This record gives sequence, structure tokens and C-alpha cells, in this order.
Amino acid sequence: MRLAVVGIGKMGMLHAGIMNALEGVELCALSDSSRFLLGFAKSLKDVPVYKNYEKMLDKEQPDIAVLATPVFLHAPMGIECAQRGISFFLEKPLSVRAEDSETMLKLVEEKNLTTMVGYMMRYIETFSKAKEIIDSGVLGKIINFNSTIYVAQLFKTGKGWRYDKEKAGGGVISGQGTHAIDLLHWYFGDVDFVSANMQSFYSENVEDFAHVYFKFANGTGGWLDSSWSKRHHRLLEVEINVEAENGNLTVNDDVVKFFLDSAVGDYPAGWTILHKPDLFSGVEIDLGGPQYTRQDVDFINAVRNKSQVGSNVRDAYEVQRIVDAIYDSAAANGQPVNLK
Amino acid sequence: MIDQILLGHNQFFGVNHLAANAGNERAAYFSDMDRIMEMINFSYDQGVKAMMMSTHERALFISEELQKDARLKDLGIYLLLPYAAKYIKMANEKGLVNIIKDSLSDTTAKEKFGMFWRGSVGVVKKDAAKIITSLIDVEMAQFSKLNLKAVFLHDVLTDLILGWDMPEIFKVFYDHVSKRYNAIPAFCSKNLPKIIDSLETVGIENPLIMASINKIGYQVSPSLHAFEECLRTKKVRLLAMSTLAAGYVKPKEAYEYLYSLPNIESTVVGVSKKHHATETFSIIQNHLKTYKGLPVSNGVAAAAEMAV
Repeated sequence: MRLAVVGIGKMGMLHAGIMNALEGVELCALSDSSRFLLGFAKSLKDVPVYKNYEKMLDKEQPDIAVLATPVFLHAPMGIECAQRGISFFLEKPLSVRAEDSETMLKLVEEKNLTTMVGYMMRYIETFSKAKEIIDSGVLGKIINFNSTIYVAQLFKTGKGWRYDKEKAGGGVISGQGTHAIDLLHWYFGDVDFVSANMQSFYSENVEDFAHVYFKFANGTGGWLDSSWSKRHHRLLEVEINVEAENGNLTVNDDVVKFFLDSAVGDYPAGWTILHKPDLFSGVEIDLGGPQYTRQDVDFINAVRNKSQVGSNVRDAYEVQRIVDAIYDSAAANGQPVNLK
Repeated sequence: MIDQILLGHNQFFGVNHLAANAGNERAAYFSDMDRIMEMINFSYDQGVKAMMMSTHERALFISEELQKDARLKDLGIYLLLPYAAKYIKMANEKGLVNIIKDSLSDTTAKEKFGMFWRGSVGVVKKDAAKIITSLIDVEMAQFSKLNLKAVFLHDVLTDLILGWDMPEIFKVFYDHVSKRYNAIPAFCSKNLPKIIDSLETVGIENPLIMASINKIGYQVSPSLHAFEECLRTKKVRLLAMSTLAAGYVKPKEAYEYLYSLPNIESTVVGVSKKHHATETFSIIQNHLKTYKGLPVSNGVAAAAEMAV
């Protein structure tokens, strides 16, 4: 399987490295807007490099592409791949606004292409275990949740596309919050409405803090608090706490623990606590965390089987609609925005 | 001679591979530099005369303290670079190209590497190697006066280079560290079997590798079985880390397992409390009496994290 990579920043390098190391996949070409990075890469790795990615797709005819570029370029690049019948892995979030990705969505579904959007948290063992527990129904009806996503990233005005609303779609919600929103959507399904408030301090035209209330179609309600300017969070950390009819559940990057009022099937009453080491399994190559490898393997297998993964363009489009509603609500001072 | 036990450094900087909260609590405790120096001195008295050190900004203070202290001048330093989390944060702040440019801006590199900034396509391998060695020098600048025993390439970079299959970069790092710094060039990796094979292709044999190894296989890829098999069949010197699986395995059983394996050169131990340190060091030192018959005070390294 021939792989082409567009955008050799942090995430492009990571996925290129993992996929290139997987059995049966080979990096065949690179594209980036920076001549510096291209020159550097070219001098170290014997693969053709292109400033123009469309030219690369035409000439190299890869089987798969990794698109790890600023958000506003996702949809146009996805379209170029889809038109050529190339399956692609796209970094998250999907697009600046949901409507920007509708043409891409239509094309990939018409052609039944395998796509994946980089919501990697689903592949962290604690979060995937929590999904299994929630779906099993042992908790009973999920009533309410609260959740946080924090990282100590920004304590002065940021430089570059990540801090430009036109290019990134927004601030912490679009950048990191989408990971948590994807998990909530994965766990609880469709959203009826959201209400959001945002605050900026370090950034000029994007939000540094956001607080969102969600009401899901299944009746579950709860909030997400997010910031990329939260001290003492060396790494990006997500936590979700769930209250349900038959107990409660807490999940974060380190642990999933739940308490059941009464036993259900194999699950005993009382606490069950599963730490990451309880759930760990090795991967073909570990580069930046096994979750990325599990994710890339899932994508490659789906391409081989001509099937779909959970976080494909369609699924990420639903997440994007929620994100749009969050920004619309915040712009209207927290007025609820309906998604029904 | 590689020290057999190294004092780990993660606990000083809030790194905890099991629980981020516990990591933060420990970082708060060790925000008082005196407590860090106290632990280093205590370990030294216990015969652990070497430590692992990342190029974390706070490690600079430790570095300065060590140079002031006549007794600790001979403390063996095993440097890990670069401090990856800093660069990931910087990449989010200003992008990858700006990181490289800014890192080299204080050196004469601007002139040397003008062709890169101008975006010349005629860049050759030699130029890329120069950039890499300059980046190493920038990262090393404030640590080069220490009693450097080995310099490890951080697993984020080692494994990235491995994935991209560019082993020539390993060679550039290897040659530069041994020539310029007179230290053992070494590699931290999460992929032991693969890294040994890759290093072999550029003529690096019997390498010193720091990798996670513990009896439950936590953070061990591709599998515990493959890892053990690799230790048995390949020429490698292992510096064991995460031996306690982030506090998940008790020291006694953790080290029983570790010293049942061949080619364990050293182990790095991340202790925060004196009584933990005493207990852990003595368990290891007892094993070392019989392991390969090596003397106790110098010689193997395991990165273990223990609860405060």
C-alpha cells in the first residue's frame, strides 16, 4: 500500500512514521508548503517531495493519503483525494464549519471510500473500555455527566494558524475540545441542543476557555469545561464523570472506574477499577503512544477490507455540527442552539 | 563503566505514567529544589552515584547545584534529550519550522544554514546532519560541564526516526555524542526489537538502550514475549525503566522478574521518599550480588515510579 503525506508537521510526521512501519505500507511521497521542511526531509529520506500536493497525487497515485494540514485545508484536500478515489486519514477537526465539508462528505459516500478523522482518544484503552461499559447497559439509564478537557499550552498570545479563527475554526473547542466532544457523541449519541459560554484572555480572536451544556436525544444532560490555558496540566487530559440509574462511572486517560448499585451479568456490585496497565496491550510499533498505532491499524485494515471505521468523515461531520452549534450559542451569549 | 542503579528524574518534574494527578502532587512537593537535592544526596549516600536527567528547564537548576557541590561533582549524569513535552508545546504554539529556526537563532547557524531558510532545494545529507548536530549542541549547552556518562536520544525522536526508517540519523547522533562529548551515545525506545535491528543496519552494535520492561508488560511493545526473546537472542545492553509499571508491581516481585532476564546492564529508579529509596535500592543491590557477579556499587539502571 503506497502512502502519501500532506503536511509534515507534528501529526503528519507521527502518522507517516507509524504507517510506514506497518507491514505492507510504504511511504512513497511527501508534500508540504514549507520548502525548508521539504528540503530537510528530502535530504534524509529518499522519497519524492512536492510543494503542490495535487501534483503529487496525480504523479505518485498513492493508495492512501494522510492529510495533516491546518483545518481550513481539510475539506479541499479531502475533495481532491476523493475525486481521485484515494482513501484518506484526515486530522481533526473535520473543517472550519460543517457546511465546508458537505461536498467532501457527499463524494466519499458516493464512492464508498474508507476515511478516518483523527479522533484518537477512542483508541486510548480507558476510553474504549468506558464505551464498552456504557454500551453494555450495566449502568442503566445515563442521567447526567460532567467532563473536562485541559492542557497547559497557552499563556501568551499564540502564533500561527491554530490561533486564527478563519483557519482553525476557533480556539480550544475546535483545537482540543473536539476530542472530548467526539467521545461524548460516541458515548451518548445525537445531541438535541447545546448552550455555551466562552472567554478569551491570551488569544485575540479565538477562545481560551469554554463551558458547554449538552442535552442529548437520549435524555442525558451534562457539561464540558475546557481550556488550553490551564496550569499544571503537562499533557492534554480528559475526564468524564457519569451518573446513571444503577451507578456511576469515571473515565480519564489513566483509569476507568465504575460503581454498580446491583450486579449485572459478569459485573459485580460495588467498585470496579481498571487502570491503564490492566488494559494495556502492545502494538506493532509504539510511536508517541499506542493509541495512534491502534488507530492507524484500524484505518489500514478498513482500507484493505473496503470497510468503514467508527470515526469516519460522516461521524466527524456530526461532531462538527455540534461544534458549530457551540460557537453559534456562544456568539448569542449562551442561548441554546437546537441540533434536532 | 555504566552505573548499575540510576536515580530517576521523572518524579521531580511531575511525570507519572499511571496518574497525572499524582504526578502534579509530586511536582508540587519537589518544587522546593532543596527536596530534590536532599533526595540526590540521600541516594548518593546509599551508593547510587548516578542519575538520569532530562533537559527539562528545571533540570538546569539541578545542573547548577551539582556544579557548586564538591561532593556531587563525580555524580554520573545520564542525559536524556530533548525534553520532548517542551517541543510539543512549542509546536502547538508556533509550528515546527519556527522551533528549529528559533533554536538555532543564537548560534552561527543562521549563516551556516542560510540555504535552508531560503528554501534551497539543493540541500544534501551533509547539511541535514549539520543541522541535527547543531540542535544537539544547543540542547546540550547547559549540561555539557556535568560528569556525563551517557547521552540518550529521547524515545519520541528515536521511535519517530525508526518509523520513518532513517537510521543514518542514529549514526549522526552516535558519532557526534561520542566524539564531541566523550559520552556513551544511547537510545531510549518503546520498540526494543525494531531499534536493535535498525541500529545494526548503520553499524551500531551492542547498543545501550533504555526501554520499559516489567513483568505485566505495561508499555512494552510489540509484546512481552517478543521483548524477552530479543534480550535472549540479540546483543544489547538494556537500561531498564518502568520496572515497577508505574507503581503497579511491588518492588520485590518487580526486581525478581527483572534480574531473571539476561543483558540487564542497569536500572533507573524513580523514588520520592527516603524509605522507598532505601527499600528499593537494597532489593536491587541484593539481586546484583548474584546477577552476573557484578560488584554492587557500580554497574545496572530501572525507571520506576513510586507513589509519594
